Amino acid sequence: MAQGLTWTVEDADSMTQAEIYGEVLTQIGQQNEKVVALTADLAKSTKIGRFWEKIPERFYNFGIAEANMIAVASGMAETGLIPVVSTFATFASMRAAEFVRTDLCYQKRNVKIIATHSGTSFGTAGTTHHCIEDLSIMRTFPGMTVIAPADAYETARAVSAAIEMEGPVYIRIGRGFEPPLHKSMDFDFEIGKAIELREGTDVTVIATGVTVLHAVEAADRAQQQGVSVRVLDMHTIKPLDVEAVVRAVQDTRRIITVEDHSTIGGLGTAVADAIAASGKGCAFAKLGYQDEYSIVGYPEDLLHIYKLDADGILETIGLVLKQDFEQDENWEDEI
Amino acid sequence: MADHKEELKARVFLRSALPLVKVVLSERPNYRYLLYKADGVIQFGAKDSQQAAWVAMSPEGFEVKPGLHENPTISLIFKRLKDLNTFFAGGTALPSVSGVKGVPTLLRFLPFMLKLKILMPTAMPTDPAEKELKVRMLMQMIASGLSQLNKGGDEFLSSYIKKSPDRVFQFTVENGGPANYLRIKAGNSKAGAGTYARRRPYVHMIFKDIDSAFEVLTQRVGTVEAVRDGLLRVEGAMEGSKDIGAFMQHLDKLTMG
Repeated sequence: MAQGLTWTVEDADSMTQAEIYGEVLTQIGQQNEKVVALTADLAKSTKIGRFWEKIPERFYNFGIAEANMIAVASGMAETGLIPVVSTFATFASMRAAEFVRTDLCYQKRNVKIIATHSGTSFGTAGTTHHCIEDLSIMRTFPGMTVIAPADAYETARAVSAAIEMEGPVYIRIGRGFEPPLHKSMDFDFEIGKAIELREGTDVTVIATGVTVLHAVEAADRAQQQGVSVRVLDMHTIKPLDVEAVVRAVQDTRRIITVEDHSTIGGLGTAVADAIAASGKGCAFAKLGYQDEYSIVGYPEDLLHIYKLDADGILETIGLVLKQDFEQDENWEDEI
Repeated sequence: MADHKEELKARVFLRSALPLVKVVLSERPNYRYLLYKADGVIQFGAKDSQQAAWVAMSPEGFEVKPGLHENPTISLIFKRLKDLNTFFAGGTALPSVSGVKGVPTLLRFLPFMLKLKILMPTAMPTDPAEKELKVRMLMQMIASGLSQLNKGGDEFLSSYIKKSPDRVFQFTVENGGPANYLRIKAGNSKAGAGTYARRRPYVHMIFKDIDSAFEVLTQRVGTVEAVRDGLLRVEGAMEGSKDIGAFMQHLDKLTMG
């Protein structure tokens, strides 16, 4: 049935890729005594367990009590510590939402949330463990920085950058089995600055998280068909790189957003806001879950079914290229 | 009835080359005296074709339109469209002239017509002002000629443009020099003056200066060499630059071949 990438495999190399960020966090903790790690009974699943093994005296397991964990993290931050909280995205963004709002964002506390298993990356665990609402929820909290890295390398860079900055940060990652986009950690990464992975002039695909890799594959396949596709890795949803969005509108006039998230309130909405504010017109399509919950299945199959993989993005590129929005329909030669 | 190739050729001459008299007028203000109290219409056409165009002269300038004018002052009608094409390509072909009262109008127009000969491949001016005039006319001729070939159903251009998404081929001479563009989209095409502002060009050919543009557009220097030597910068899709190069050669072959 599915034609998506097959990466739900027991692959030792892939496991190593997924654990890169855990390793980086541990290294940061070894260099910075202010960094403390907190989890809610998910140390192994969230990869923060590596920190526990190396620096147990600064590791705290709260049991299944996410809201309490956030409240304590807020207090720790007030004493000058830099708490890094790790749990599943669905619990961090919804079960603990009020505490994130009141104890972290309202108080402007320097706490970093690493929310794993986001989107449908925990596909077979079912809808209760999918999280297609978190970007929307977290974006609304004033002062919250929201990041969705594309792979483990980018996650590691995001964690480092988040600890360097002051204030609450929500980093949204997958289950940890996602294939790598980058070959190493040697690339430009700056919070709030999109990474242009492919140049293009016909259409721009703005993707975030796990969908970035699929956008790149779609762009490469489109290139073979003579269609020039720009790909922006929009790892930071808030603050959004508005300049890159407006430049893409100006340059290509056709925009597609892709996210493993609801099309309401996440990347697509943020990009649409930026376009509307710019006053520029363009053809526009949002790929994501269209006001519906995903069915249960392997994540690569789900991305294919909901047209968030390379096949789906390529199909949407074709549709957007045909979309007739242009006001400029004067075809009289100027002579 | 003229064949399709002659029809296309005439279309380019009448709708792309003939309107360049406007460029001559804007670049050579000293020619403006020829329009003093001018009031006449010159009709061009051929007996075996619907291809035709007319030029209206007035003190304000020129109006050039395709088709037949309802009341031309003077008409230059060729027996065959092929002869009209020979005439516009710089060869010898004489039309039948009707409208004796229009002879003064024609005489006023002739200096502008003769200036169009600067488009000929053999015309290699050395004077900087003449070089600039040729560059301005060639850039407009390329954009407009390609658009007209598409609109006239040239198979090579039309088949490409029919499949094309919204794309712009932009030609610019740096530092405020002339600029023209060809916009194409799903079978439609438009030649425009200046810079297309609504989107980034698919291919942007940026000439360093007038001399560089002159060398490349007159094919005295190939595009590869021009890029290597810094006369030309090409931004955008590389495969698109190959396409526009092929189109330009096609236009050149059709009109001058």
